[in-house]
Amino acid sequence: MAKLEAKNIVKYFEHDGKPLKALGGINFTVEDGDFVCLVGPSGCGKSTFLRIAAGLQKPDEGQILLDNRPITKTGPDRIMVFQEGALFPWLKVRDNVEFGLKIAGIPESERHQISDRYLDMMQLSKFANSYTYQLSTGMRQRVAIARALVMDPEILLMDEPFAALDAQTRDLLLVEMQMIWQKTKKTIIFVTHSISESTVLGNKVVVFTHRPSTIKKIIPIDHKRPRLVEDETLIPYQREISALLRPEVKATEDSQ
Amino acid sequence: MRAKSLGKKIAFYVGIVLVWQALDMASIWPDSVFPSPYEVAEDLGYGAADGTLWIGIGTSLWRLAAGFAIAVAGGIMLGIFMARVNTVNETIGSIVLGLQSIPSVAWAPLAIIWFGLTDAGIIFVTVAGALFAVTINTYTGVKSINPDFIAAAQNMGAKGEQLITKVLIPAAFPYLITGFKQGWAFGWRGVVGAELLFSFLGLGFLLNVGRQLSDVSQVIGMMIVIMIIGIVIDGLIFKRLEDKVMARWGLR
Repeated sequence: MAKLEAKNIVKYFEHDGKPLKALGGINFTVEDGDFVCLVGPSGCGKSTFLRIAAGLQKPDEGQILLDNRPITKTGPDRIMVFQEGALFPWLKVRDNVEFGLKIAGIPESERHQISDRYLDMMQLSKFANSYTYQLSTGMRQRVAIARALVMDPEILLMDEPFAALDAQTRDLLLVEMQMIWQKTKKTIIFVTHSISESTVLGNKVVVFTHRPSTIKKIIPIDHKRPRLVEDETLIPYQREISALLRPEVKATEDSQ
Repeated sequence: MRAKSLGKKIAFYVGIVLVWQALDMASIWPDSVFPSPYEVAEDLGYGAADGTLWIGIGTSLWRLAAGFAIAVAGGIMLGIFMARVNTVNETIGSIVLGLQSIPSVAWAPLAIIWFGLTDAGIIFVTVAGALFAVTINTYTGVKSINPDFIAAAQNMGAKGEQLITKVLIPAAFPYLITGFKQGWAFGWRGVVGAELLFSFLGLGFLLNVGRQLSDVSQVIGMMIVIMIIGIVIDGLIFKRLEDKVMARWGLR
């Protein structure tokens, strides 16, 4: 069943006072329970697409349907995980995780019950009373993921959440992310610039072209999980994606 | 480290008193113009004994607290609206900078006309002194918030009042504290300045009484009290608040 449908999404940026077409008509469908990874040359607008799906930006043309209803504004049914986490430094870990629940007016005992579950899932229980500056970058991203999961969103939107992590921490989180996906059966759209990350995580990898971006190809990856970065079975997919991206990256660089 | 810095401070203040004492003993100026440290201390002692000093301090601090509270509430609201609503910034925002350049005591004549020689008049001067510093720093603070904080909060359903109280104010808090520090200092000058003009209780009033009686010890004594209160409020309240917030926000 289609969870999210992007229909001819067009978006212009302002660049030196002139409109620059970033998204040139994005069409694709995300099925319920999909783990979709978006890859593309830098500046192709994949993060912008995610923000449009989150309702944080408006498309200039086209629309995105969530469960057949057009997205018009932001809301907790589509929770975004930001690249730098966007955790609130004035709140303790637990209060960060419970932020959305508090906004929704859920009573404290129930909030604690929910946050306990996800703090435990993300192995954060002993940091519940820490402030975020006391945590490593990897731990912070765990908090950001927990904060998203407590909202029990229809769809999870992740914008390069592991880009700033060291390789070991990232590899660990790549495995955990797959387990979270299997456990929660969430639909996830995950933007990344890492080809290996996309093949480890995605059951579909959506390859964007250079600006104005369209979808070049959607590659299904049906492999057993948990997959690891070093899995050799993923290499053919990585080669294919790499080959698809090479001319796009070249075109992006030539246009600059 | 701390003990060493405290030692330096004590040595410095003892040094000042000694130089002062030496100047007095040199008898360059008559006692009616240049009192000795002892005379000033004695004068303050009389004031403390008969209670006038404490009433003066209490009155001035009460006015400061009232004016500052109003300025903080109003300044935060105004600053947030300026930062979030373009029209407000383009209209009211343009005049706030100008208003801040008016010395707080310059509001006193207007306050006397509007409120008479009352507490309300002096508090008005205090508010006028503190309000715009709080406003401008709140504006800067809200403008400097990481846009992802606001996006994340809105994404999680925060809007309107909740967005203001749960995200905008805490996120801008390090700037707000700068505004409070500047605001209270302007407010304090406003209180004392207004009390000089209003001649209606408070430390500024006692300062003026000292001048009218040609009691130079009282004049200098009151100035010292006004300064000490400044140091104490800054160190005890704002410095601590700032340290706490800077640590919590991970800024140091």
